[in-house]
Amino acid sequence: MGEQPAEAVITLRRSVGTSTATATSAGLAFAAIDYLGVVSILAYAPGATAAFAILIGGLVVVLVSAIFAELNGLYPTAAGIRLYLGRAIGNRTALSVTFTYMTTVVLVIAADAFLIGAAVRHVLREPAALAYVWIIVLLAVALAANLRGVRIAGWVQTVVTYTVLAGTSILSVVALFHVGGAFRHPLDLFGKGTFSGIQAVAFALFLYAAFEWVTTTAEEARTPRVITRALFVAPVLIWIVATLFALALAHLVSFSTLHASAYPQLLLGRAALGTVGELWMLALTVLTALNTFNGGFLVASRFIYAAAREGNLPRQFARLNMNAVPWLAVTALAVTSSVVAAIVFATGQWLLLVSVGAAIECAIYAVGSLCLLILRSRVDRKRPFKVIAGRPLASFGVVLFSVLFVATAFADPKDPSHFSVAPFSVIAVLGAISTTYVLAVVPRLQRAAAARNAASRPRRRPVREPASEQGAPETVD
Amino acid sequence: MAEWDEISEALADYTVSCNENARLRKMQRDWTRVLHFICSDTADTFTMDVDKGEIVATVAGHVGVPDIVVTTTSETFCDMFWGDLNPVQKYLRGEIAVKGSQEDVLRLDAISYVIWPDA
Repeated sequence: MGEQPAEAVITLRRSVGTSTATATSAGLAFAAIDYLGVVSILAYAPGATAAFAILIGGLVVVLVSAIFAELNGLYPTAAGIRLYLGRAIGNRTALSVTFTYMTTVVLVIAADAFLIGAAVRHVLREPAALAYVWIIVLLAVALAANLRGVRIAGWVQTVVTYTVLAGTSILSVVALFHVGGAFRHPLDLFGKGTFSGIQAVAFALFLYAAFEWVTTTAEEARTPRVITRALFVAPVLIWIVATLFALALAHLVSFSTLHASAYPQLLLGRAALGTVGELWMLALTVLTALNTFNGGFLVASRFIYAAAREGNLPRQFARLNMNAVPWLAVTALAVTSSVVAAIVFATGQWLLLVSVGAAIECAIYAVGSLCLLILRSRVDRKRPFKVIAGRPLASFGVVLFSVLFVATAFADPKDPSHFSVAPFSVIAVLGAISTTYVLAVVPRLQRAAAARNAASRPRRRPVREPASEQGAPETVD
Repeated sequence: MAEWDEISEALADYTVSCNENARLRKMQRDWTRVLHFICSDTADTFTMDVDKGEIVATVAGHVGVPDIVVTTTSETFCDMFWGDLNPVQKYLRGEIAVKGSQEDVLRLDAISYVIWPDA
């Protein structure tokens, strides 16, 4: 494709600015599952050490921000991750990786549905079996809203995100007044074993996970710098909120109580402000569903639609309803999420989802670093943002995120001192399904589509003689 | 490289196909947008005005403030407006660049998909 000099100076009527992009980034990352993510960090880094792990995780995320800012500047499109993965590691591998990556959306939606359902049930003092009813109700509401084409406006998302972040911070500060600055275990990163510090940092990374999805709004941004700024500012906001929450939680609620609970934020709310605090945190938890469900369904269903239109998924997934919504894709996501949530509900393995999500994010960050490394050699084009010392930093990123992937994928989600293959097994199954699908099914789908097109549809564009003398453009309406 | 009259002929056919498709008109009933198009190889530009799903004008040059900006080669534009290529495939390969919201990108592709489901 040629140069596009004119495009750079055009401003869209509806364009995304820095505050909206930052809210989108932080909102995608901060879900109800993050409260549980903090408990996972505390399992490896007790007391105030959790805050130290979150800080290190934040510093590592700065590297991720820089890498994705350069890649986004190189390919500023909603199809970004597919595009730069395809250019760097080949289309088939890119497709396998992206399919696996998209499963994290379902896992996060399912986990969040479970956690929000459990929190609502806990506050309303209902029997345990009713939790799943709440999950189905929440997913059905999100499904119905999506099928009707209801979009959460940018300003609603901004308000919700900042409300959740500010509300969590305020309650955490109130809780910290009870602690009075007497922090335990300030720098005990390896107190629970040789690898405990690495595992704590890997789980800390999970708190920031998905912040990079803001790159899918690159085409709406006023300038490429808007996305770059959001990639750097959003992690700072998450770092502040998560640190306050972790410190308050670590000192006000015993770990034995936290470890068995699916709603640590409610326990902190009650410990800090009694019933008012519990209701406060419940309200914030329910608010997170707005961003998680709508954002998740929207991002993943459009990815499925595009994959179906491209011929990589059965074309039924591209079917649109009268509201121009890919209804089968959205419905399939809701049904799959409710099934995964049911499995989580039946097995109680919600911590496993945190581990799987954290490990997949680490793997994606390793792959992103690899892409930067390869594209530095292959694409000699001016970048709006270029990482200083990009090659050594990307090489470091490949190694670091691979180590963090191993540390997370082989850790027992429930007991930090035990090795477990459970998270890796789940990822391996997801990856194997994706790869098998891409290698075995996609070529068949594409052959069938090509045969169908050749048989049923002659070329419509009239054939012209090569030489023609035409005038200047005129009105053609 | 396609000449302007080829693009204009393709646009005229596209406009008729869109406006005569009842399902598309109903689906896009809440979609009112100004689209700017840029031919990256010939530097030709044109504007499409869509009002509640109906293409009410396609004019040469850029008119008004756009909601969506589409940039690709003149050949690709011609094939796209004639329904001879799948816009999503070109978009995912980076051969069509779109500046606009994700929702508008889907709506834009939906037009081609509804008119030519086999493309």
